[in-house]
Amino acid sequence: MTHHRDIGAGPPDEYVEAEIQRLLVEDPAVAEQGITVVRRERALVLYGEVESPHRREEILRLVSERFPDVPVTSDIGVIRAQAPTEIEQLP
Amino acid sequence: MVIRIAAVGDVHLDEDVVGRFRPALEELPECADVLLLAGDLTRHGTEAEARCVAEEFGGLAVPVVTVLGNHDHQCDQVPQVVKVLEDAGITVLEGNGVVLDCAGGRLGIAGVKGFGGGFAGRCASDFGEPEMKAFVRTTTDSADRLGAALRSLDCDMLVALTHYSPVPDTLAGEPLEIYPFLGSYQLGQAIDSAPTALAVHGHAHAGTERGTTPGGVRVRNVAHPVIKQAYSVFHVGDQLDTDQVSPIGQSGSQRSWS
Ligand SMILES: [Fe+2]
Ligand SMILES: [Fe+2]
Repeated sequence: MTHHRDIGAGPPDEYVEAEIQRLLVEDPAVAEQGITVVRRERALVLYGEVESPHRREEILRLVSERFPDVPVTSDIGVIRAQAPTEIEQLP
Repeated sequence: MVIRIAAVGDVHLDEDVVGRFRPALEELPECADVLLLAGDLTRHGTEAEARCVAEEFGGLAVPVVTVLGNHDHQCDQVPQVVKVLEDAGITVLEGNGVVLDCAGGRLGIAGVKGFGGGFAGRCASDFGEPEMKAFVRTTTDSADRLGAALRSLDCDMLVALTHYSPVPDTLAGEPLEIYPFLGSYQLGQAIDSAPTALAVHGHAHAGTERGTTPGGVRVRNVAHPVIKQAYSVFHVGDQLDTDQVSPIGQSGSQRSWS
């Protein structure tokens, strides 16, 4: 394994971001492509929209398990599924 | 003649989502002649997830027509997925079309999943390594089949249904770097090769709702994370009251059926 920084500093944030993004797409328990990972000082914030509260919890659980030392917060929403209140007219 | 089209894509169903859409779907007969599903019905394309789709979108009082998305291919169970959907009365299109008799006329729908490749001036070319050629030829074949299906339908109104986007307009909000994985201009070219009235797609979860092909066909991205409601409803027709017509760029008008 290649260390890009001093031992103890952890992998550079960009690799963590890339790994989280791939983890969320490729892990069978999640398979979400629409989650964005944003760096905020020393923490990572997850943004996006999912289809159920269960999936939001799964994403947080997976990321915290894989990166126990990285503080992660989530701002993931569950997409509304109400009937529309407006129509669009297309001539 | 007005045909009422409800559409949603990227519902990514599994057991944890079953039942969330159903109350809104029960209202469909009052507001739409057909429901179009723009692919990514499941998370991984398993037969079990397809059964969730059949439960949620089967047995509705309006016809349901779908294409598959990339997620529906993930587990290589496409034949099983298609069978479960068809057994539930859902029409699955891939390079073909269907004509439905609606109150406002005969609605023709042609569908393909489509594929990536990018858009004019910034797209992949059929050149170089075999992997690259295979990628671009997948797109071209898909677009050719969509064009042929659109041109073959005998109907009063023509709609194109894809998972991947035919235009870059409806991708606005997605990172530019991934546009070639979200759609291809060849799909737009296919749509413009026929008198298409509306093109509906999904796949771009962070995109925007409205766009137009170079030939002037309206394009709508109906991915669930984009529309943020159970489905969108479009009234497509040529004899609308002028006060009902919403100009492009406005979000629509009040529902007229309630
Ligand atoms: Fe999707
Ligand atoms: Fe997709």
